[in-house]
Amino acid sequence: MKEKLMLRPGDTMTSEERMKAAIRLQVPDRVPAVPCVYYYFATYSGLSYADLFEPKLYRRATMKLFDELGPWDAYNFFHTYYRELASFFIPMVTMEPGFELPRDIIRQFKEEEIMQPEDYAHIVEMSKRTPRLSFYRVMMDFMPRIYDYIQAGWRSYAFVLPRFAAQLAYYRYEFRDWFDRGATLFYSIGPVEVPFDTFSLARGLIPFVKDLSRFPGEIMKAAEALVPGYIFLIKATVNLFGIKRAMIDLHRSSNDFLSPDQFRRYALPSLKLLVDGLHDEGISVIMHCDGNWDMNLEALRELPAGQCVIQLDGATDIFKAKEVIGDRMCIYGDVPASMLALGAPAEVDEYCHRLIEEVGRGGGFMLGTGCELAPNARAENVKAMLDSVLKYGYYDRPEK
Amino acid sequence: MSERIAALIAEVEEDKTLEEVRRALDDGADPLSLVEALREGMSVVGEKYEAKEYFLPDLILSAEIFKEAIALIEPRLKSDSISARGTVVIGTAQGDIHDIGKNIVATMLRCNGYEVHDLGVDVPPGAFVEKAAQTGAGMVAISGLLTLAFDAMRDTVDALAEAGLRDRLKIIIGGGPVNEKVLDYCGADAYGKDPSEAVRLAEKHLG
Repeated sequence: MKEKLMLRPGDTMTSEERMKAAIRLQVPDRVPAVPCVYYYFATYSGLSYADLFEPKLYRRATMKLFDELGPWDAYNFFHTYYRELASFFIPMVTMEPGFELPRDIIRQFKEEEIMQPEDYAHIVEMSKRTPRLSFYRVMMDFMPRIYDYIQAGWRSYAFVLPRFAAQLAYYRYEFRDWFDRGATLFYSIGPVEVPFDTFSLARGLIPFVKDLSRFPGEIMKAAEALVPGYIFLIKATVNLFGIKRAMIDLHRSSNDFLSPDQFRRYALPSLKLLVDGLHDEGISVIMHCDGNWDMNLEALRELPAGQCVIQLDGATDIFKAKEVIGDRMCIYGDVPASMLALGAPAEVDEYCHRLIEEVGRGGGFMLGTGCELAPNARAENVKAMLDSVLKYGYYDRPEK
Repeated sequence: MSERIAALIAEVEEDKTLEEVRRALDDGADPLSLVEALREGMSVVGEKYEAKEYFLPDLILSAEIFKEAIALIEPRLKSDSISARGTVVIGTAQGDIHDIGKNIVATMLRCNGYEVHDLGVDVPPGAFVEKAAQTGAGMVAISGLLTLAFDAMRDTVDALAEAGLRDRLKIIIGGGPVNEKVLDYCGADAYGKDPSEAVRLAEKHLG
């Protein structure tokens, strides 16, 4: 039998076993650490942010950080070597380093209307005809609206699909680095913006708010119509990479953007449909919840227990989240970007210690960065965060 | 009539507010008192937002109603008859192009009676200095969503100090990752977590 590859000398579980235990709200051997990193790979290796579009440079930078400041349990990846594919998941007009921006400025999004009000009805109709392909088809409709060099119709498929396939091949190749080092994948696919939030991004915040006040029912119908297409896409990548987890993004559903009542009435139904559908397929869901979710937490209790992870970014009270939904879903987070960029290692250590003690109590917790690791984080702070699970995170060592 | 207009916009009732404004204008109401009523209603919206009774969509929709109502009233106003409560120069820090938060803050400040000079996004420190000097602004508001904006915020504060403007104006910052720590780092005077706090800060410092 193949010997299990442990990540750290004191571990008694593999990273994959640890992740599964945390998600099932069981007590793993120790708290898993899963930073969410992209641009910091470049910072740490002295590369420009535009260099991360180069597969060789990106791969070398990931392993340098992992080997020198890590290890950590799971690879939370969201890079694409073809810029257009990023829009496939967050359909917005982007400005990229090395393209519209200088090589050392990170990607930024422009709030432009790439979707029109009549698209809601169009999405419902199209989803009726080809439910499983609805996600692809909507994105292919959006692509030419984002990039003037991509033509509408079959040409957009011809442009995107080969790049998509090549990207998947790159992923598959790179994943070996992580498995060989005892880490696992955080998910097989992600981060896919949920349908409701996709509309907010693609319509633009202010037009979307107006839509929501005028015809919420149409938005809900369109969001629900897209769910089978999401499940089909997620299942396909889960089959390809073998990790039965997916990450979904909820950038626009927090209390910063919606009232708790709007969330419960308009956003939750399609989210629930999606999570329940994935649950039926045995796929766990990591919800990337940006912003303040304090007043939405109670509503999330409707999602299946021991099946979801909620990633918080420091804006939600993570300690309160443990009390409100810690018995239903795994909590993941939330070392704030400002602390990692401007704080000191002792402060990071103290905060992580508190997270592990309070949010980690009884299992169901993963330590991570609040949203993405700040590109200008201090290396000693990153190290302090990753080391904290060794110092304080073992559940069978009461002296920790 | 003014009270009804204030109450309607406070309830975020678009059609009814506009209808009432039209009727008041037809009845020969004083346009300035209508503007005042609308501001009063917006102030209630701000209070409800702070009390977590209202959320961002209510701020956005009420600001839209305010803009539409002002467009109806404006032809009846003599130019410069609306006196501003103070002047604010606002922009997104250099290197950052995110503008939703900044736009909402600018709109809310305008709705609350401040003269706002919006410099847009990716604003170099020098542009803040130039506009603040030229307008005699009492407040500079810098927005940023990226952690990389922290340095640009600090540079802007330093540039305003070097230009000798630091003592005569207040500098506020805001945006997703901004907190007390970022405030200390940048050397600004205050930070706001949401548009409503920005209005409160303006009221505190500019009256």
